Amino acid sequence: MSFNANRLTPYAFLAPALAVMGMALLYPIGYMIYASFLDWNPSQRIGEADWVGLKNYVNLLNDPNFRESFSVTLIFASIVVSLELVLGVGLALLLDRKLRGMTVLRTVFILPMMIAPIVVGLMWRYMYHPSVGIFNKTLNSLGFDSIPWLSSPDWALTSVIIADVWQWTPFIFILALAALQTLPQSVMEASRIDGASGWQQIVFIKLPLMMPVLIIAGLLRLIDAFKVLEVILVMTNGGPGLSTEILSLRISRTASEFRELGVAAAMSNFLLILLLFITVAMFIVNKSMERREQRLREAAVDTSEDFH
Amino acid sequence: MYAGARLLGAAAVGLALMSGQATANPYAEFAGQTVVANFPAHPHYDAVMRVLPQFTEETGIKVEVDQLQYLAMREKQTLELTKNKGDYDLIGYVVFSKADYVFADQIEPLARFFMDPKLSDPSYDPEDLIDGYVQNIGFAGGKKGYLPGPTGGLFGIPFGSETSILAYRTDIFEKHGLEVPETYEQMLDLACKIPELEPGMGGVASRGQSGHQTSHAFLLHLAPLGGRVLDDQFKPIVNNAEGVAAGEALKTILDCGPEGATSFGFAEAKNAFLQGDTAMFLDSTIVAGEVNDPEKSQIVGNVGFAPHPMGTRKGSQTGGFGIAIPKNAQNKEAAFLLMQWLTSKHGDKLIALEGGNPSRFSTHADADVNAKFPHMATFGEALKDADPDWRPIIPPWGKINSELGTTLNKAMTGDMSVQEALDIVAERTEAIMDDAGYYTWQQ
Repeated sequence: MSFNANRLTPYAFLAPALAVMGMALLYPIGYMIYASFLDWNPSQRIGEADWVGLKNYVNLLNDPNFRESFSVTLIFASIVVSLELVLGVGLALLLDRKLRGMTVLRTVFILPMMIAPIVVGLMWRYMYHPSVGIFNKTLNSLGFDSIPWLSSPDWALTSVIIADVWQWTPFIFILALAALQTLPQSVMEASRIDGASGWQQIVFIKLPLMMPVLIIAGLLRLIDAFKVLEVILVMTNGGPGLSTEILSLRISRTASEFRELGVAAAMSNFLLILLLFITVAMFIVNKSMERREQRLREAAVDTSEDFH
Repeated sequence: MYAGARLLGAAAVGLALMSGQATANPYAEFAGQTVVANFPAHPHYDAVMRVLPQFTEETGIKVEVDQLQYLAMREKQTLELTKNKGDYDLIGYVVFSKADYVFADQIEPLARFFMDPKLSDPSYDPEDLIDGYVQNIGFAGGKKGYLPGPTGGLFGIPFGSETSILAYRTDIFEKHGLEVPETYEQMLDLACKIPELEPGMGGVASRGQSGHQTSHAFLLHLAPLGGRVLDDQFKPIVNNAEGVAAGEALKTILDCGPEGATSFGFAEAKNAFLQGDTAMFLDSTIVAGEVNDPEKSQIVGNVGFAPHPMGTRKGSQTGGFGIAIPKNAQNKEAAFLLMQWLTSKHGDKLIALEGGNPSRFSTHADADVNAKFPHMATFGEALKDADPDWRPIIPPWGKINSELGTTLNKAMTGDMSVQEALDIVAERTEAIMDDAGYYTWQQ
């Protein structure tokens, strides 16, 4: 009797959390998946909407605007994450030393991350203003032409990328710095004794040891980049044309401007599937890294045993 | 016995006299009730808020207002109206929502209120209401489904409506001896002459941002130049010669406008004019309220107003808000009394004096209002040509508007010609209309 009770107690403790997760997570997602099979106008109740099966999904795949929006999102996310990784790691490598005022510098560097995205969007919008914005004013005073930061389809995506990189590089920087500071000093000393230059140290020792953290940070940023909304909403509202219309913006417009909740739900499902895919990839990478470390540790134990 | 009967008789007469006096005040029955209203955060409704205490004083009906930014208000209303019992008795709706709410049968047709002798004020004078606004914002079910006509009915009263007007810098015009443009040719000509006469200054401030802003700016020119988005059979004709002329007019205005005009929303365009970056402004009358405010405008005292220029016809925009009674409201009669009071000659004048947008011709011509706001007389004249059909008010319009705005913006930035852009828009519009069932009766 007590044997059974002991086996069941862990599940009993988990039950409340499972119940909350079921209500707060599975019910809304289930509702959204159901809604994506309907032709639903916001003025109707969900019961009044017509069932249309997979029509919303098929229409979306054939819709050139949706495909353009999807590709803009992919391009934006990949460029933003790559730039942030390079800059964040670079900054971390530069600042991983005992400087005077290190704590102050570190606080200053992470400030952009702490500003609300809406404020970031507004700030950059004013800086990019064609005539009174600080960028064009500086360019003009140095004798160059103004750049159409937000009014040209070619420049708009670049401007938005710059704003996002500015805000989120500190995130990668903080994680990379933490990873660097937990690197075993013995390895560094050994490499210095062996005659490795600074650059060789970075490429062959520091980066590979930091890899697990960097991959996780990169994947986290990637997931977040797919969900960006406020900064782009405030800066360009998807324009000019569709050049900065990322998926979350398109979903928001489909729901409120076009008043097609079923299509918006279908788009959200596409985004959800993509993000699920990336999350599963993250777990697999994590698992394979743990297994690799396990194997290395076992190999180290074996070799050390050989020496005895 | 007789004494008893006489007492009873006296009491009966007394009672009759008393009830006679009670019915002399139409608001008595509703005094003490509270009407809950949903209004947008907009300069007109800010003026209304200052006038509401007087309504409560005069009638005894209390008013509680929920003010929201207009897009948030629209989303909230959409949800509220689907409930069984709603929280709002009176809603201010964006003109666009007329299509959605009437189609979903969520607002009360006003006929039965106007028929009720206890509620309807015989001195209301509905013919004094600006009919371009009434047709655009209030009527539904008539011609093409959204205009008045023998099959139409009134669902709302225009309240906080705006039309388009041409504002210009009197000092710049005087300096160079320029005439105020009355036709599109003259205005477009001046728009490109001004940057040459005054270096650094744009011609006309206009919206140009991709999406809704470009679409709105384009439609402002489409009606006066004789074009329409859809014909009477709902087929798109936006890419005909008149449509292309309107697109070219917008391109000229943006090219000769201030720098970065193709990224301007309404606020940027208005500020470009108010900060002195352009000599003219062709858009909503709401600018009149800020022109002489030294905190917002650098051009105080140097602005004149003229009606929207004429192309092949006169047709300024009609837009803004209206007020209606939801079907799921709790206090419909009291809400109707509030609606009637706010849009009566008395209420309209009070609101106009506080800076709101009048809904009546008489208020525009009123001496007191003109003493405080001298542009009102010009606005009143301009309103006679307000065009209720400057854009279709149908449920699929949101999607069509978005296509029009994003594709046409590509023509404005030079990525394709205006004709090409409009052809693409016409094609996509036809697909959208077909999908929505507008061609069911045409085989």
